Amino acid sequence: MSVASRKHGAPGFLLVVPLLAIMALGFNLPLVMMLGKSLFNGSGITFDYFGQLFEVPAYLRVLGNTFRIALITALCCVVLGYPLAYWLRRLSAGWQFVALAAVVIPFWVSILVRTYAWIVVLGNAGIVNRTLLGLGWIDRPVAFLYNELGVVIGTINVLLPFLVLPLFAAMLKIDPQLIRAAETLGASSWKAFWRVFFPLSLPALAAGAILVFILTLGFLITPAILGGGRVPMIANMLDLLVNQQPDWELASAISTVLLGATLVLFVMYLRLTAQKDEA
Amino acid sequence: MTPTPNRARLPAPRPASAAWGRLNDAAITGISIAVLVFLCLPVLIVIPMSFSSASSLRFPPESLSLRWYAEVFGDERWMLAIRTSLVLAALSSTFALVLGSLAAYGITRGRFRGKQVLQSNFISPLIIPSVVVAVALYFALARVGLLGSFTGLLVGHTLLGVPYVLLIMTVAIRSFDIRIEQVAFTLGASWFTMFRRVLIPNLLPSITAAWIFAFVTSFDEVVVTTFIAGTHETVPKRMFNDLVLQVNPSITAIAALLIFVSVTLMALSAWLARRGRNRLQRFPAQA
Repeated sequence: MSVASRKHGAPGFLLVVPLLAIMALGFNLPLVMMLGKSLFNGSGITFDYFGQLFEVPAYLRVLGNTFRIALITALCCVVLGYPLAYWLRRLSAGWQFVALAAVVIPFWVSILVRTYAWIVVLGNAGIVNRTLLGLGWIDRPVAFLYNELGVVIGTINVLLPFLVLPLFAAMLKIDPQLIRAAETLGASSWKAFWRVFFPLSLPALAAGAILVFILTLGFLITPAILGGGRVPMIANMLDLLVNQQPDWELASAISTVLLGATLVLFVMYLRLTAQKDEA
Repeated sequence: MTPTPNRARLPAPRPASAAWGRLNDAAITGISIAVLVFLCLPVLIVIPMSFSSASSLRFPPESLSLRWYAEVFGDERWMLAIRTSLVLAALSSTFALVLGSLAAYGITRGRFRGKQVLQSNFISPLIIPSVVVAVALYFALARVGLLGSFTGLLVGHTLLGVPYVLLIMTVAIRSFDIRIEQVAFTLGASWFTMFRRVLIPNLLPSITAAWIFAFVTSFDEVVVTTFIAGTHETVPKRMFNDLVLQVNPSITAIAALLIFVSVTLMALSAWLARRGRNRLQRFPAQA
């Protein structure tokens, strides 16, 4: 059998080679070269570029800003996404389809388009400000745009489906009998939720929050458009250092830090999702 | 963690708890619908806005026209950008499809070590922030003199499409009954014939879905393109550059076109993927 399948079967590794070659040349090698650029100067290994990153206050501020915005975004996605996923789970099949479509369709639309739309919605003469003014809740238009608030709103809008969809899938796997058992044993539905359902959904929630956090770290478009240059994040700084005031070594060091942070967090994400699958 | 003392309270006052439950349900429903509106708002606003006749970005538009579409289609630069985007997306998604599908087959059916590593490597462009990929590609392409070239752009877009192809095709190949392939080999088919006559016809819905994912990924790509495209202009690249400078209503028409392209193609791919699954279940031995 093994002889026959070797003789007749399709080649295994050979089919991987073309992609591997392109991947190695067009992706892996460039990343390694970038790593090298951040660590080597003409004469040997140096940590100067990393040092520069952590010594210059302007760079540190951008780093801090980015991590803070990522944290706020992840927390907001948790607060908004958890009830939505919980609610989705209990809808009838028809309504569930409609509601899921409402989550998935924006997910398919270009980030650029969704970011742009917020200029129309949140601008001084935008629909939100005019509604609030019309209701008499505010006297002057609220500045939603070109500040951190605008960036956070736009980022949450783009990334929320990344939390909601896997969380919803994980919630479907939780056996509803467990909740019923808890209620039969005398737990109020409130208690049954917090003591049984919520802990079971927690790994998926944490995984979703980490995913949103990771993705926010690399955001370029939303801060560039909705921050109006006033809310620079790591990616915008990279854009500046590569395209406008070339400092490739520093750009490499920053990219390396961003890459490292992403990979560490992604390993955490994998751990959490693996646990969920075992349970 | 203190079950025994609570047992005394077992017959809880039901009516109060039911009322509380209803209140809770109403709150969750309210929050969820608000979140859904928040998610869809950008898409729902852009489409009617694109038909506005005014040059202000007021919503709702006071009267309707095709003015901004006419402006876009009359602008040679936009038309060139649309063409570049379409050609780039068509080529890169086709490369990604061929390379990714072959690799998916090799990884799923082949017997060799390190499959997990290869799979992770091929999927990593999905996880690594695209700005990091953009910076790395920028330096590498500059080194070999391909910065700003169409070839460089093509390589970048192909690699960004590969993860989707690999994820979709791995699932499709894994769920295809290996015995059908073995029968083809036993009947004397070469692996090339088996691919052409057995595998590809049976996996066509998944193949199309994978191609569409790669196409849309390329068609919507902004970050890597902005870094490495040089003077080449794609639709998202120009839209991004225009937006950073100033907002112009013809962008709304472009945005509506982008929504139309992505949503139509993705809906098609979702439908094909579902059809592919059903077909594999219902006719396992077709062809």
